[in-house]
Amino acid sequence: MADEFEPKIVAFLCKWCSSAGSDLAGVSRMQYPPNVIPITVMCSGSMSPLYILSAFKKGADGVLVSGCHPGDCHYIKGNFYARRRIALVKKLLEFIGLEPQRFQMSWVSAAEGTKYTQIIKDFVEELKPIGPQTKLRRSS
Amino acid sequence: MVNLEDLKKEAKRILEEGKIKYIIGYERSPNGMMSMPAFIKNPEDAERLTWDPSCVYNLTRFLVDEKRRKAKEKKPDTRPVAIVVKGCDSRAVVVLLQEKFINREDVYILGVSCEGAGVVDEKKLTEKLKGKKADKIEFSEKDHFLITSDGEKIKIPAQEILAERCLECRANFPVIYDEVLGEKVERRPEDPFKSIERIESLSKEERWAFWKEQLDKCIRCYACRSVCPMCYCDECVVDTISFAVAADTTAEEKAQKIKWIERSPDSSENFVYHLVRAIHLAGRCIDCGECERACPLDIPVRLLNKKLEKEAKELFDYEVGFDPEKPSLASSFKDDDPEDFIR
Ligand code: SF4
Ligand code: SF4
Ligand code: FES
Repeated sequence: MADEFEPKIVAFLCKWCSSAGSDLAGVSRMQYPPNVIPITVMCSGSMSPLYILSAFKKGADGVLVSGCHPGDCHYIKGNFYARRRIALVKKLLEFIGLEPQRFQMSWVSAAEGTKYTQIIKDFVEELKPIGPQTKLRRSS
Repeated sequence: MVNLEDLKKEAKRILEEGKIKYIIGYERSPNGMMSMPAFIKNPEDAERLTWDPSCVYNLTRFLVDEKRRKAKEKKPDTRPVAIVVKGCDSRAVVVLLQEKFINREDVYILGVSCEGAGVVDEKKLTEKLKGKKADKIEFSEKDHFLITSDGEKIKIPAQEILAERCLECRANFPVIYDEVLGEKVERRPEDPFKSIERIESLSKEERWAFWKEQLDKCIRCYACRSVCPMCYCDECVVDTISFAVAADTTAEEKAQKIKWIERSPDSSENFVYHLVRAIHLAGRCIDCGECERACPLDIPVRLLNKKLEKEAKELFDYEVGFDPEKPSLASSFKDDDPEDFIR
């Protein structure tokens, strides 16, 4: 088989829900593509847009930010702030011409191992046809 | 029409009363068409003040400097500083108040009306005059500027030489003031986001090509940051790049001072700088256009901020700089903020 492009995804997962959700997928031995580099953050609300840009700069082909469902955030309101901020980041990235598929956000609870694996599968499938991310990647 | 004598009289009066520390306003520049900032302490100097369509600067940046200076003084003079503001500039004062960076009692606001017009774009005017200098730039009746050049008086339709941001301005009259000069002449732009829609209508690759060409020019002089009244953070993420790691640098120090961005004007670093800058100004930028005016490379940096202004309006119904009591864009949310982009 020819070398197929395998996208690198950096996933910022909140500690209390999404990270636990990804753990559940792991311990339940659910199969999902190994393209993800998970990074646990305390809360989706603690995501600085700089983390996202840094990941792209360092060569991520896709970035995912995932937090608890609205109403379930461990810090009560963190994901509501995140929802606003991430919406703006997403719009801005599209405005400068980055492919919209490259930046995603999701709500994944600690019980949603299956949802997490599906999100990653879909993400990988969407990234494959658009190829490596070179726009924001540092060349040297 | 703003009567300049009224402005001077009012300035003189407040200085004579002694309740004001000094006035930040505009005066004619001895060499050049555009007015420049003036700092008036003595009542007799109030004569120097001017207000005309060449007063492009957003002077509120100097309120930031004033606060810093005051913080360093042992026995600071706590009297308020007076400042001349246009509509757009007054919205910058609103944001500084909203963020509690300054207090209302620290500033005496002298609002001036843009007379249904705005301020001129120096480059557009120079082009119009074919290189000749304007000796005087005045508001003229309805939507015109009166330019005196080489002893000749020319009337130019405002639309032709207005600054870009004035063409999209939604507040050409101060929204907050202690004293205001001139009449409230409404001028609603037909399309306040025309410049943004033009870019949005391009294809993804065209947009990328446009920004790549623009941002690759950036030499990272940070003039756009220095001139912005909202860029007042004591520490900016962009500056952690000056942190040198030596043999005795502790892990703690390294963790505190992450090198997020390199100073070298590499394409990717430039993008990160400009995106971070835009995001940090989301819901705070009042579109005074100073960043763009200050840029030595003519990069349309203002458009990145304008895009987020548009999104804030469309997604969250948030408008910047009208109400100092309102929670800021980033420190508030609604239960039904859009989330159709979330999986
Ligand atoms: S003023 Fe222009 S060149 Fe200087 S940092 Fe800003 S965008 Fe870059
Ligand atoms: S970002 Fe530019 S237009 Fe916005 S407030 Fe700052 S200087 Fe003015
Ligand atoms: S802790 Fe999960 S989003 Fe706040």
